[in-house]
Amino acid sequence: MQYVTRESAFHRLHPLTKLIFAIVVVALAVLTADTMMLTVLAAGVVAVAIASGLARDLLRQVPLLISLAVSLLILTVLTIRSGETLCYLIPPSVPVIGGALPVTVGAIDLAVAMSLRFAAMLFAFQLLVISTQPRDLVHLLDRLRMPVDYTLMFLIALRFIPSLQLEAKRIHEAQLARAYNPGKGVAGKVRGLFPIIIPLVSNTLGKATVLGLTIDLRGYRSGKRTPMRELSPGRADYAGICCMGAAAVGYLAVLIV
Amino acid sequence: MSPETALSLKDVSYTYPGSETPALKRINLTVAKGEIVFVTGPTGAGKTTLALAASGILYHDYGGTLKGQVSILGRNVRDYRDMSEIGRHLGVVFDDADAQLIFTTVEEEVASGLENLGLSRDEMRRRLQEVMESTGITALADRAPHTLSGGQKQRVAIAATLALGTEILILDEPTAELDTEATAAVSTVLQRLAREGTAVLVVEQKIGELAAIADRMIIIEDGTIVADGTPGQVMRNERASSTPLTGNRRMIPRCSDASPIISVHGLVHRYDGIEAVAGIDFEVSPGEIVAVVGENGSGKTTLIKHFNGLLRPTDGSVIVAGLDAATTPISELARHVGLVFQNPDTMLFADTVEEEVAFGLENIYPGASGERIEAALHEVGLLHRRTVYPRSLSRGERQRLAIACVIAMKPDVIVLDEPTTGLDARESGRVMEILERLREEGHAIVMVTHDMRVGATCADRIVRLKQGKIVQDGETYQEDTCPRLCSMSHGRAPFTGSTLSPN
Repeated sequence: MQYVTRESAFHRLHPLTKLIFAIVVVALAVLTADTMMLTVLAAGVVAVAIASGLARDLLRQVPLLISLAVSLLILTVLTIRSGETLCYLIPPSVPVIGGALPVTVGAIDLAVAMSLRFAAMLFAFQLLVISTQPRDLVHLLDRLRMPVDYTLMFLIALRFIPSLQLEAKRIHEAQLARAYNPGKGVAGKVRGLFPIIIPLVSNTLGKATVLGLTIDLRGYRSGKRTPMRELSPGRADYAGICCMGAAAVGYLAVLIV
Repeated sequence: MSPETALSLKDVSYTYPGSETPALKRINLTVAKGEIVFVTGPTGAGKTTLALAASGILYHDYGGTLKGQVSILGRNVRDYRDMSEIGRHLGVVFDDADAQLIFTTVEEEVASGLENLGLSRDEMRRRLQEVMESTGITALADRAPHTLSGGQKQRVAIAATLALGTEILILDEPTAELDTEATAAVSTVLQRLAREGTAVLVVEQKIGELAAIADRMIIIEDGTIVADGTPGQVMRNERASSTPLTGNRRMIPRCSDASPIISVHGLVHRYDGIEAVAGIDFEVSPGEIVAVVGENGSGKTTLIKHFNGLLRPTDGSVIVAGLDAATTPISELARHVGLVFQNPDTMLFADTVEEEVAFGLENIYPGASGERIEAALHEVGLLHRRTVYPRSLSRGERQRLAIACVIAMKPDVIVLDEPTTGLDARESGRVMEILERLREEGHAIVMVTHDMRVGATCADRIVRLKQGKIVQDGETYQEDTCPRLCSMSHGRAPFTGSTLSPN
């Protein structure tokens, strides 16, 4: 997940508008566990992405969301029994343990609600990140008086995820060239991780010192910053905030009623 | 202290935390404003430590025992609050370009420091444009740093530091991965800055373009300055004290009728719509050393990754030892092609040197005897280090270990990506000697290098790539200026093949 150079409508919005958008979506997602409302919310975020031509970028998160949804479903089915029982993981006809692990409507509802909530929040956050240059985000967080250490942590996390992926790929290739075979079964998979993880961790720790020094030497802790370009909110931002306000009020009204 | 002194080290000794031997011993050095000082010496001599000491980083960030006095612009580094305060006067380009790139576009990266200087926006834009043009990265402005080649990253890291406009610049191996054109661009910028009064301290392994623009050259060995003077003086003395560097390289006749071990026909490879390799025909025979050379981003690494299946052709064919590299599994191709990556740290993970060598060997020949491991370690001169933790070896030893890992598997072809980057002349020479012995045993060697000197002097054949195409493919043989021979005769960095001439 990182900034994508493009001329989308969402890109043109002021970073503050996009940050408010992400915060509003997160707040609304947390306020309810109603699957219908959460579906509307997630669909709303996707609609904004489609309107801005950024839907394809959101699709990249779908595999992660599916694996999360499946894990949540397994977890809720195993731990929650509420509402009508739909079926049993172990059929009642099986002697002794038959009828154990019922699959209930409550468990499925909760898994779906949590997955939708996570999808809405992830999509909103992703829209913010892929459409806002990191330095604009840094300036915004600065203006909002976020401590510089947190701002830098956020920035470095964004920047170093692709770097880590690249380093892991490079290490993987180097080991493949030595006929590396990750092995079979769980034990094999775990053992097979060492040739990748050990160089990855060692090399990354080595870079951390240089990174910290670079931040210091570029004056990032000086606290006085003049953004190269001053972004001021335009009509699209005011319109966007009004739309968001109206949608949020409508959403809350439905929730309360 | 003269008011013109920018940097000064007086009787500086330094011992790293946990170490007993000092890395620097009683160093005395001054760099005046407007002066370019070039520091060189063998791998592990203390060059980087000297750069870290001069920048105040050792005192403020590393711990360890620092004795003597380091001053920046006449003020002791101990009196600076922290590195942020030092950063207002001094910029450092570290040798690891990747770790210095924080932002997600090149333009942001270069602008990042500018935004903290309290300049007007017009001034920032002017500086940004000027620095990006002078370092040749304007066309990369919107690219994400992690997608750039090593040389491009290095240029961006240099640009981001130059943009700060500090009175002092310290550069650690700034041109290690740069091609001739980019190195020349960096030299021009440094010369201009020096004329404007900037003090420049450059640490480099190899003597080349940057040494030619220096006012002073310093050689450091084993933590001590052993030569200090104008480049001309230092070189004259070095030449007088070293064994003559005339060559006696043997040409080993190649069997012209040997069938090629690698055949590439019409190879095309596209990444995200960009044609990195654009129609290549190329063959490698057993018992030859082929250097694939070219500027940064010319498609060298993309080409060699096809030999062992790490990349598959978009079009055309690659046949290795009779196998179609487009479809044969990597594990099968690894029996025939060994690839030594540029940075050995991308593969080292085992607890001991011999376990590291055993890893690849066991993958291909399970239960293979320890004899092969011993033979491979003996070949690269690391047998006595067999029980050592690989990451504690020196850079040159790690590079040789990476080669041992590959030769233990006895592949027909050994491919090396930039085998001498980061190595001094002595270590480069050792690597080249190993390669020559392997060639004599009948292995085909393909090495990728952006350093034309290495290619021109150490290979039987040079294949030059430009924008994904072969623009030159021919045999080469020159009276020796190959680092391997120079370095065997003398421990110090040799002064051959450089752009320098004693004056």
